[in-house]
Amino acid sequence: MEAEKSLEGWAPEPAAGLPLARLVDLAFDYRGNTTVVKRDGTALHGYVFNRDADAPAPYLEMFDAEGGGPHRVPYSDVRTVHFTGKDTAAGKSYAAWLARKQAEKAAQVADAPLP
Amino acid sequence: MSVPLSQMWTVASYVLTQRFRGRARYPLVLMLEPLFRCNLACAGCGKIQYPGQILRKHLTVEQCLGAVDECGAPIVSIPGGEPLMYPEIGRLVAELVARKKYIYLCTNAILLKERLEAGVFTPSKYLSFSIHMDGLREEHDEAVCKDGVFDEAVQGIREALRRGFRVTTNTTLFEGADPERVRQFFDAMMDLGVEGMMLSPGYSYSKAPDQEHFLRKQRANELFHRILSSPKRRWRFNQSPLFLQFLMGKRDYECTPWGNPTYNLFGWQRPCYLLQEGYAESFQDLIDSTHWERYGKRSGNDKCRDCMVHCGFEATAVQETFASWRGFRDTVVATVTGRA
Repeated sequence: MEAEKSLEGWAPEPAAGLPLARLVDLAFDYRGNTTVVKRDGTALHGYVFNRDADAPAPYLEMFDAEGGGPHRVPYSDVRTVHFTGKDTAAGKSYAAWLARKQAEKAAQVADAPLP
Repeated sequence: MSVPLSQMWTVASYVLTQRFRGRARYPLVLMLEPLFRCNLACAGCGKIQYPGQILRKHLTVEQCLGAVDECGAPIVSIPGGEPLMYPEIGRLVAELVARKKYIYLCTNAILLKERLEAGVFTPSKYLSFSIHMDGLREEHDEAVCKDGVFDEAVQGIREALRRGFRVTTNTTLFEGADPERVRQFFDAMMDLGVEGMMLSPGYSYSKAPDQEHFLRKQRANELFHRILSSPKRRWRFNQSPLFLQFLMGKRDYECTPWGNPTYNLFGWQRPCYLLQEGYAESFQDLIDSTHWERYGKRSGNDKCRDCMVHCGFEATAVQETFASWRGFRDTVVATVTGRA
């Protein structure tokens, strides 16, 4: 089974093939805290739980790392998003669990004494 | 027949009222998630995969009641997270009972006995504990990744029944389940004395060729056919018999994603209980601004192609019951004869 990839630790900058809206989408799908770096040099660390790229003024919404919020941040204020927090979903999918169980069973069979 | 008549009547009159008013999209069951925190860590459960500050948060009772009033669904299901860990679960349930909402409190039952002994709940026809049971001891403990949970849940069920509460079970079945073991599990739940059982296939999503999608659906239909094709008279299901027929492949339904809207810490979840593609600020906003045409089997959306889960299709089954005399007749016949 292909290993699950995580964005944990990734610190990208928007580029031609990676627009800010895509980065925000990735942050929305990410099950960990991120750091939203603003154009004024400040940053907000927390969990991005919503975004609306189709709104007249696109925005993201997040709870900060202390649980405060929700904070609404317009895309126009965001320079980039870094995936700084632990990915709480990494390796915890049902498929990963199933693969682990099968590996455990296979190991038990291999370790069993010969009759 | 395991759904009480008063509950059937409430749902029937609600659905007919919505149809009479010409309302195209209306909710049937509100999925109210007051918290994401849980005392289990089941494999693949996306509900608990959040950073600590999110898991420590929960909705206030007022936020919950605001959502219930705004949505207007006659049934409120309280999943989570583990709702018995919600500090104000007793007050929330009492307020919902006062509003005459039929409540399914979905719990793993680890804390049930303790909460009952503490007097947190009062028996009511409006309140049913819906106990998560994915099979007999071996299957259930494996599904929840912890030994001993099955036995704790059984203790909780016995205590709740002894105190006069309504108790149902909810079971998720994945590909590979053993039909004979599932049938033994049904017997065991009936022996315990639960009012009824709820079944659903698990949700899986992966990008796959058309042929594989077809085979998955066929395998799911075969599994449920083997489980349900010769049901025992004593089995009671707390769900639409037409939905069970859909699981067996006897009916072809389209999803009703707005049928079970979900409200939690983040707002009204788009588009459904399973998919998390954004949040609306209000229920009306959810209904008005979600691109519903992008979801369901006919949409071609990969994420919807293999889905047969109750939160999307049971509402369709209930609507069919009231959409035609044939649907009504089929529901009555299946309910009276007990044959899916």
